[in-house]
Amino acid sequence: MKLLLAEDDAALAAELLRALRAEHFAVDHAVNGEDARHLGETERYDAVVLDLGLPVVDGVTVLRDWRAAGLTLPVLILTARDGWSDKVAGFKAGADDYLVKPFRTEELVIRLRALVRRASANGATQITCGPLVYDAGLGSFERDGLPLRLTGLEWRVLSCLILRKDAVVPRDQLIERVYDGDAEVDSNSVEVIITRLRRKIAPARIESVRGHGWRLQAGEEA
Amino acid sequence: MSPRRPGRSLQRRLFLGALVFVTLALLVAGLAIGLVLYRFARGQIDARLDGELFAISADLRPGKRGPTLSAAHDGPPFDRPRSGWYWQVRLGDAVLRSPSLGEADLAVPQTPEREEGRPVPADGTGPRGEGLILRVLRLPGPRDGPDAVLVAAAPAAALHGPLREAGKTLALALGLLGLCLIAGITLQVRLGLRPLRTLGADLAAIRAGTRERVPAEQPQEIRPLVTELNLLLDQNAANLERARSHVANLAHGLKTPLAALAMAAERNPEPGLAPLVAAMDRQVRHHLRRARAAALGGSTRARADLFAQTSDLAVALSRLHAERGIAIANEVAPGTQVACDAQDLDEMLGNLIDNACRWAGSHVRIRAERDGGLIELWVEDDGPGLTPEQGAHVLQRGRRLDETVPGDGFGLPITLELAELYGGGLTLDRSDLGGLLARLRLPA
Repeated sequence: MKLLLAEDDAALAAELLRALRAEHFAVDHAVNGEDARHLGETERYDAVVLDLGLPVVDGVTVLRDWRAAGLTLPVLILTARDGWSDKVAGFKAGADDYLVKPFRTEELVIRLRALVRRASANGATQITCGPLVYDAGLGSFERDGLPLRLTGLEWRVLSCLILRKDAVVPRDQLIERVYDGDAEVDSNSVEVIITRLRRKIAPARIESVRGHGWRLQAGEEA
Repeated sequence: MSPRRPGRSLQRRLFLGALVFVTLALLVAGLAIGLVLYRFARGQIDARLDGELFAISADLRPGKRGPTLSAAHDGPPFDRPRSGWYWQVRLGDAVLRSPSLGEADLAVPQTPEREEGRPVPADGTGPRGEGLILRVLRLPGPRDGPDAVLVAAAPAAALHGPLREAGKTLALALGLLGLCLIAGITLQVRLGLRPLRTLGADLAAIRAGTRERVPAEQPQEIRPLVTELNLLLDQNAANLERARSHVANLAHGLKTPLAALAMAAERNPEPGLAPLVAAMDRQVRHHLRRARAAALGGSTRARADLFAQTSDLAVALSRLHAERGIAIANEVAPGTQVACDAQDLDEMLGNLIDNACRWAGSHVRIRAERDGGLIELWVEDDGPGLTPEQGAHVLQRGRRLDETVPGDGFGLPITLELAELYGGGLTLDRSDLGGLLARLRLPA
């Protein structure tokens, strides 16, 4: 799962990047409103953490511009402004959630996962695919009732696939959602991760769609 | 500093001033008219006496044995004895008298100058001691003899009686005129000061939130005042806006580093650091709320659309509590308004609905109805509710900050405080839905 973090305070941004990456999210960081707006319009993110008091272009304007351009990606506003009028203004501009600083890291992560899950039109907190169960609240995978141990990259790939289970996820989309903007992308490494995942999740399987992408399916090949 | 005199009323001042002028003017008018009347009456009498004098002088024949009159001059009122109407001719030692005078003598005062051929006025006293008006005519005597002194007299009462009557009528007329003038002045003062009363009503309306500015169409004299008032209102609003943005900046400046600190404390569980950060957070949050509450509730109270703001808050809160799937029913009648600032209303309503959402099982309902000059707003949920003791505790002000945990009814005392600032209130009750019923009263 890939996030855009728009936060101008260096200390807080560093803490957020560390905390979110520890929770397996791939995170791009924008330090001002203009960069944030540009990244949101050109890159593919599962969710955005948006500060309102951004330099150059403020957060509410960025959000309004995205919504006016038809971007539906889920946005969580993370701000110091805790007045109800500010919250109403944020939601009116098109926010999906609102968290006031300071906050507990756990709450931010839970809310982000819930946002991503709701955006992928999955109403339930748990997504099941054959023997696999993904808990969107905790962000954890189980296979046959037992916790599944995954590396960060494996988790990103598998959560991306299970949120779109039974649908083909194009290769470039998957890569975009797995790697940070500044990471070196080795095009072969996705294949390596997929191969490792296939072993861990059987009998659920990841089907390769030639020239296109991958698809997570519940059972044996028909 | 000397205390201001109580009851300094413009109306009274204008009225008293006008009263003094009207009284003086009427007195002067009365005196002037009285003088004219006196001169007229006196002129009439003088003319009559002079006529008599000239008639007598025309008939006067100085004879060897004293003067005689070639015609009788004893017509009324000179025939009635002691009537006060007399005439007398003295030539040397010889004296002719009107029948009314009998044998009495008219004392003739020394006339100041020798004005021959022209009657001169004088005052005298009659045989009965009555006041007389005299006309004295001196004519040169025959052949270097003594002058002939002709005197005609009229009773002073003939002048003063009619004058007194005329004076009474005059006083009555002037009194009536004065009353009319005072009534007119009263009316004028009231009409003239009416824009001030209207201005007072406009300002009251601004305070009540039914107006935003004083209307600019005003009489020329108070237009500068109204312009200044409107500028003051604008300045007030700008100050309020500035104070709010200061609070917002302060919030941002404090809370962002605090958030970083909190995250660092979470990551690095050094004993004692996390509670310190939590305490700082509570302090900052509390005092920022207080600062905002102080910046809110300014002198100008706009009107807030209760229905629209409830709808907006319901959308925001249903997203904030999206995971719990709370249904928020806004049953406020569209168009319902309250006389309070929109941000204040957001704070009060937001706290109440948020609190309801936190405790609700699945439903929150918001209703409003008018109760006299107040709108009573009901926010209820189907949660566990509160016992009366718990309710009193939640609303208690001045509780130590440590006792108030965010999310545990933290906003309710602030809501109560704001509502009381507007002359409303907040009470907690049990809802038909099973949970808490918060009744917020605000001016309509």
